Amino acid sequence: MRRYVPVIISILIVFIATIVVINLKSNNKEILNIANIGEFKRIKTCAIQPLFLSKLKIPQPIAIDLSQQQYRGVAFLFGPNLMQSVHPKSWTRFDHFSSYILDQKGHMYLTPMPYITISPNTFTFQKNIYTLNSHSGKLSIWMSIDEVKAGANNPFGLIALDYDCDDNSLWVSAIDESSYSESRGVIYHIDVDSKKILQKVEGFDALSVKLLKSNRGKYLLVGSARDNGLYRYEIKGKQLSNIPAKVLELSDFNERIRKITIARDNTLRLETIPFAYTLVAETGEDSTIRENYYAIWSPTLLKWKIEKIK
Amino acid sequence: MSKELKIAFIILLLGVTGLSVYWFTGVNPTQKKPIEPRERIILPNHKATLYLELPIIQSYLEDVKKRIEHGNAILPLEAKELDTSGMKAQAVLLKNSNFLSDTKDSNGNLQHNDMMTIRPAIVSVLSQKSQERCHVHKCYQALKYNFVTNTTTRAIVDVESLEVLEVKRFANMQPDISLRLKHIAQEIALNAPEIKKELGDSPEFKDMSMANVRGSLNNSACENKNHLCVSPTFSYHDKEEALWAIIDLSDLKLAAAKWAGLGKTSTPACIGERSLQNRQIMENFCQKDTVHEESNWKISYRITGSDGLEVIDAWFNKERVLKSAKIVDWHVAYKAKEGASSLDDSIDSYVDGRRVEYVKGDNDTFFFGYNDAMGCPMFSTSVVLPFNAPRINPIIKEGKKVGFSLLQDYRNPKWPMACNYRYENRFEFYANGSFRVVGVNKGRGCGKNAIYRPVMRIDMEVSDQEAFYAYEQNGSKGWRQWLVEARDFQKDATIYAKDKYLYKITSKSEPTKGYYVEPNRGQFTKGNRGDNATIFVTLHKENEGEQDLMTLGSCCKLSEEGVERYLEKREDIDGKNIVFWYVPRVRNDAREGHEYCWADTVLEDGNLKVKVWPCDVGPMFVPISKEGI
Repeated sequence: MRRYVPVIISILIVFIATIVVINLKSNNKEILNIANIGEFKRIKTCAIQPLFLSKLKIPQPIAIDLSQQQYRGVAFLFGPNLMQSVHPKSWTRFDHFSSYILDQKGHMYLTPMPYITISPNTFTFQKNIYTLNSHSGKLSIWMSIDEVKAGANNPFGLIALDYDCDDNSLWVSAIDESSYSESRGVIYHIDVDSKKILQKVEGFDALSVKLLKSNRGKYLLVGSARDNGLYRYEIKGKQLSNIPAKVLELSDFNERIRKITIARDNTLRLETIPFAYTLVAETGEDSTIRENYYAIWSPTLLKWKIEKIK
Repeated sequence: MSKELKIAFIILLLGVTGLSVYWFTGVNPTQKKPIEPRERIILPNHKATLYLELPIIQSYLEDVKKRIEHGNAILPLEAKELDTSGMKAQAVLLKNSNFLSDTKDSNGNLQHNDMMTIRPAIVSVLSQKSQERCHVHKCYQALKYNFVTNTTTRAIVDVESLEVLEVKRFANMQPDISLRLKHIAQEIALNAPEIKKELGDSPEFKDMSMANVRGSLNNSACENKNHLCVSPTFSYHDKEEALWAIIDLSDLKLAAAKWAGLGKTSTPACIGERSLQNRQIMENFCQKDTVHEESNWKISYRITGSDGLEVIDAWFNKERVLKSAKIVDWHVAYKAKEGASSLDDSIDSYVDGRRVEYVKGDNDTFFFGYNDAMGCPMFSTSVVLPFNAPRINPIIKEGKKVGFSLLQDYRNPKWPMACNYRYENRFEFYANGSFRVVGVNKGRGCGKNAIYRPVMRIDMEVSDQEAFYAYEQNGSKGWRQWLVEARDFQKDATIYAKDKYLYKITSKSEPTKGYYVEPNRGQFTKGNRGDNATIFVTLHKENEGEQDLMTLGSCCKLSEEGVERYLEKREDIDGKNIVFWYVPRVRNDAREGHEYCWADTVLEDGNLKVKVWPCDVGPMFVPISKEGI
């Protein structure tokens, strides 16, 4: 009997190894299901505030208001409790804006937004990127993308943008072509100097975009307009990978990530809204329907911890 | 080397090779292809009041009412749900002023609260101080829920010293539910006609589980997270599917149901009533037409992007009657009696977060308001959303069925709070061939001086060559044909044919073929104040409303309805395909005892009750053949 001991031991070793390997692989797969964007830091952006604000001697702090609650278009709020504002009437002529970004010269770029009532120009406005000149404060159309066509079945066009300090370019998302059954959003990479579209990636409805650099590389984070997920595109050599990968998802299926900011090292701040490609206006005592979360990345556990900000 | 050693070595070698291959290429257990669930959404189509007839609900509501009448806001747990210590904890809490402090509104009215659970306290919910106490004493944790404020309260009680150690409140959160409410939820699920239809006439208790009873404080799946909901589930493991019923325990009704796979991500707990409704409406009523046949009528209908519910084809006795009927907009204007002179046009104005349009009137008055589009819940320009799917109901008069109605409910999600609206699009089809296009306003809006103007577009199919007539108002008592596009004011009319009809649309060649138009002067509904409508007749053009119309005209310019833009050329309509536009004008009323187009929320027996004073508008179309010329 003793002579069979090596055989029995070898069978046991293989058996135990099999269990270990299967478990390891399962765990590894779970980790791989989340796109690992690595560790990241909150770094100072190259963007500066519009220079005309200094000329006007507007004191800090200054808040940029696109909420449409008090002002149409864009407004700069300042003073005690931010009760004073800079908001010339000419800043209302393109109706409402959904997001903005500042560049290294202080020019502001804005994407449009349809809001409650449709006017004859509403759909046309949705194909433009607008700019607020850093020196003059003049609001104008910076660039039109004619293939963006908002309409009655989807009133949204260009919707979110971010500025790339590395190469003086914009990353802009459009969701006009999407329908209930098809996600046909587009992300444009646009050179600011030449206004040339450098790249166009189709097939994803991004309600928010945010550039992020980590120890694993450079990414464009995008909040999906169709689900509760945050996704990432990898950027290699100024080119966006074609396939987005899911980074995390929120617990509430009905929330959509509308704004992404890097709150601190390894921590994102995510602002969410309900979004259904309609103009729904909800008002009431608790009129705020936005939620805010911290998404904290643990480099050791390779996991996100999501905390609701109260 | 012995033979056995060689075998052992070979086993090890084969094992390592096999595991290596598996590691790099093998199928992962978590990679199993998920079974595609058979997803199907069921929305309630019966009145929620039917559940009030269930004895278990009657007894529950009776108990709540009695408690409130006796000055107690909290319905306690029944003895069978408690052990001796739990009973002590409950007795202490029902007298504790801190625990009871959120059970009244600002006027001192009691709000319905249920004690949900009382169990031995777990360490993770205890503060450091309580942990020290509970280490040596027996402690219990209790959860109660306030149905009015949607708030959960958690208390920790030392049941040895009978002392309340902690009271914490969680706004907009719902707790695990009591056994009594669990049984109520199960009864609602078992008795819901929609569930019975899905599972056969008698769904069985044994098939039902309550997997979704809340184990922690969570957001609710129904009524935009403001109600207490649970999801009893009928599971069929052999088919790997389950029917999830979302039960709203705040309103005691079935909120929605869904067939889905047994996978975690497809459960209603992850999705919620609102998104289930949206998907059901999008897939079944926005992306395709629905046909209904009843009482010699055959109608097709759909929900449009911004023009509400549209009947796109209607036949009576195999003759085509309607090509399209819909309400394209609701204009809402509020009158301010003074202040026009001080209006600052240079900035936008907002009421409760919504930008408003201003139109100056006479004597320093002005009007402000909105244009509300109704339409699909997703991918549309809709501001007021459809709730539930279109419903078909019988029309009963004097106990007898005389036809049927098709209706769609539209609401701002926070209705009946201020500046939120609720409209109903209704089409009534009668067995005698008559039909009525109805707009119902259920308030509440932003104020007491609202003027509502729904813009109705009705494209009839009386003939290829149609003729339009208005009843003479100059004393000649006859019908006068309109030869070109024009407008008329029903509110100014004093003389009606047969004391009912003001207009008629006929075949050009057969004057007896067609329909009379009977404006609403209050004769259709008790207490109704009439339509005061402006009507337009225009030549049919594809780009004038056949497809979805964007906002038509100003909300607040009361001298115009918006349709005027189609009259500019005054085109010939004699013997042509014509379109009839009907724009009622109705004023709301919030005076007590006179409410009209209004809604309010009141606290009744501890619970919030919505009171609605609807106003309906819209003309009746009566076959000329029935009434004679």
